Amino acid sequence: MSTATTPAPAAASESRRNLARDLFSSDRPYGVLLALIALVVFFSIKSDVFFTSANLQNIGRQTTLVTIMAVGMTFVIIAAEIDLSVASILKLSCVSAALFMNDFSNNWFLGAMVGVAVGAFIGLVNGLLTTKLGIPSFLVTLGMLGVAKGIAFVVTDTAPVLVDSRPFWAVFYEGSIAGIPVPILWTIVALLIGGVLLHFSTFGRKVYATGGNATAARYSGINTDRTKILCFVFTGVLAGLASLIFTAQGHAARPDFADGLELDVIAAVILGGTSLFGGRGSIIGTLIGSLIIGVLNNGLVLIGVSSSWQIAVKGFIIILAVALSKRR
Amino acid sequence: MTTAQPLVDLRDITVSFGAVKALRGVSFDLRPGEVHALLGQNGAGKSTLIKVLSGVNQRDGGTVLVHGKETNFKSAQDSRDSGIAMVYQDLSLVPSMSVASNLFLGREPHGGTRLVRNRSIVHAAQKYLTEQGFPIKASARVGALPFAYRQLTEIAKALMGDIRILVLDEPTSALSAGEEEILFKTVADVTERGVGVIYVTHRLHEVFRISDRVSVLRDGLNVGTHNTSDITMDKLVSEIVGPGHERMAQATLSVEEGDRRSAFRDESSESSTHAPVIELRGVTNARLKGVDLKVRPGEILGLAGMVGSGRTEILETMFGLRRADEGEVLFEGKPVRWGSPHQAIAAGVALVPEDRHEQGLVLADTIAANIAMPRLPQLTRAGAFTKGEANRRAKKAVSDLNVRAPGIQTKLQNLSGGNQQKVVFGKWLTPEPKLLLLDEPSVGVDVGARDEIYGIIRGFARNGCAVVVVSSELVELQLLCDTLAVIHDGRVTTRVHTSEVEGEERLHHLVQEPAR
Repeated sequence: MSTATTPAPAAASESRRNLARDLFSSDRPYGVLLALIALVVFFSIKSDVFFTSANLQNIGRQTTLVTIMAVGMTFVIIAAEIDLSVASILKLSCVSAALFMNDFSNNWFLGAMVGVAVGAFIGLVNGLLTTKLGIPSFLVTLGMLGVAKGIAFVVTDTAPVLVDSRPFWAVFYEGSIAGIPVPILWTIVALLIGGVLLHFSTFGRKVYATGGNATAARYSGINTDRTKILCFVFTGVLAGLASLIFTAQGHAARPDFADGLELDVIAAVILGGTSLFGGRGSIIGTLIGSLIIGVLNNGLVLIGVSSSWQIAVKGFIIILAVALSKRR
Repeated sequence: MTTAQPLVDLRDITVSFGAVKALRGVSFDLRPGEVHALLGQNGAGKSTLIKVLSGVNQRDGGTVLVHGKETNFKSAQDSRDSGIAMVYQDLSLVPSMSVASNLFLGREPHGGTRLVRNRSIVHAAQKYLTEQGFPIKASARVGALPFAYRQLTEIAKALMGDIRILVLDEPTSALSAGEEEILFKTVADVTERGVGVIYVTHRLHEVFRISDRVSVLRDGLNVGTHNTSDITMDKLVSEIVGPGHERMAQATLSVEEGDRRSAFRDESSESSTHAPVIELRGVTNARLKGVDLKVRPGEILGLAGMVGSGRTEILETMFGLRRADEGEVLFEGKPVRWGSPHQAIAAGVALVPEDRHEQGLVLADTIAANIAMPRLPQLTRAGAFTKGEANRRAKKAVSDLNVRAPGIQTKLQNLSGGNQQKVVFGKWLTPEPKLLLLDEPSVGVDVGARDEIYGIIRGFARNGCAVVVVSSELVELQLLCDTLAVIHDGRVTTRVHTSEVEGEERLHHLVQEPAR
């Protein structure tokens, strides 16, 4: 766009256009919310079981991994970077936590900390390579996708690592508080922390500025490298947390599962209105985006779409939703 | 004078943008084999005239004759088809591709197969370059070439096909002295073959060096066209500057302002009362070759010099964007080695950068968010962003600086250039900096907002802030500054009080003269 001129003329049509834009913009993701509601209505009509509290809880549990990691990914993408390695971080984190609990200490809390710490460490490496060596994060994390996954396979011989700890299962998957299953509570915790950090903390302002215009941010005294590194670390921590829920769910760390999960995570963030070019996005949008992914995964099964078609339909709907939100 | 038919004959050209008359009846002609220099200050109408010739701007009146035929260019392609080639300041080459690929970009020769054969392209390109006398290797990657050779590649590309008219828009602004020679030689070779060259520049020495004739524009009108051999530098400068600026300069200075200025008249007595806010001692780095400078509280120092002289790099060094390899930087008397702007900002330095879109603002963000950006450490309470305080500061900035916007939540991309620039100043309003660095503070700002911005700058100085201004507009420096430093080739060549420089012409001479 060229230098903006005075906005005075055409104010009426401007405001109408603004309304249309707001419907699909990142700041007020009404557009994707409408898409979510449409999907829910559609599946409710097509399937008797879809809109039952049991199934809705199902969706919440099934979406947990995607949502938690998408919260971190929102930060990375707003900072105009990308993290393709989240699914591999999840694998290596859960394997590390499980092996630690089996081989060193059966203390579930220490085990959980190890899982999160491994996630944070990989995030730190991603961030350092991206900022200090200037390698595009697409390549850094594409490489890390292989490195972390490979190590997870090597240390486990690609076999599941059983975790036999009742408190661990309870804290991360099987328990519930006031009738709400813990995976959903963990999701809410991640969303709240992410939301407060992004929208109410100074760090959040730095993330937006770094992604919106890194040069201007640097000229304003913002340490853009540090901001980006912290975004990667945060994503790693959340991938670590997701790995614990994943482990508790199957009573085992399964390095052979969760392939391609990073694509669902990125799709959720972009569906939520976060700009792939950085500088724009919101946590509420990411929640809605994750729910769309979750509703699709669940609903398509319920209405009997074959698993092969599910993949294609999901891809099609993602393209459609993003195309809609691009329209001005 | 020869009677050969002119390649280009522009007669009584008028162009208006809305209510603004950019050209008010300008005539210009170009003969085969000559270099015709086009001079004038920013806004005199040079680029508008060039754009009429290149089909980018449409004229409102007058006639355009090319090769004696009346023409009416509707697009850049029309102009190109008539044998006119433009070389702009910003290069249009793909750095990652070879010279040959760039020359043939979009018109790759191919056999019946529609496949592009790299070898044949390089071969054809090398043949063309050698024939035309360009000292460039066709297989070289453009990004790896020194700047002058990239510019030559651009000229070579522009001259491909049946080109008789070449327009060069400030071709030397980014070149070193040695590189300029290569360019001048190419221009001479090209004219030998009968091509006419229109040469737009700010550097008067080049005019005398390579042009046959020179035309000066001022305020959208012809001031004069001369054979270069018949005119002196003095005459050219006075034609460019025109009468009347001195009076304007006097009028804008209030009495109070005069008092503040006179405080800096006597360098020596001043040094005893006010310690400098920042001092550079023999600072040397990639672009600076031993810079000594001092700025005192309340002083407005102007850095005058050509683009590429090192004036912007001085600001960048003061802002922690560049380190001093040799020499030292003292801030409030203490030596500092800033490696990053946030250290400079924490010490009390502020920068209004040259390119507000790239360096100054997040255009997709709101006024409030932009103003908060450099002060985030102060706007944090236990990690939380204090929105109330940030909004209060933004409101104060909007009202103090008279930013015309619906509110502080307005996005920057919806503001005019002048109001955007006021927001860049607003970023540094609370708390006020000790040292304010300004790089081209009024670029792309309309006249009314410009006066307001000058008022803002003087306001900072009155409150005791030291100010350093870089500007290509010498009138601006004379209006604003107490003291002036002329920068040439990474050094301070002259340091004077503004009142010692009589008139803008004298300042033009100061800036031009060190240039070999």
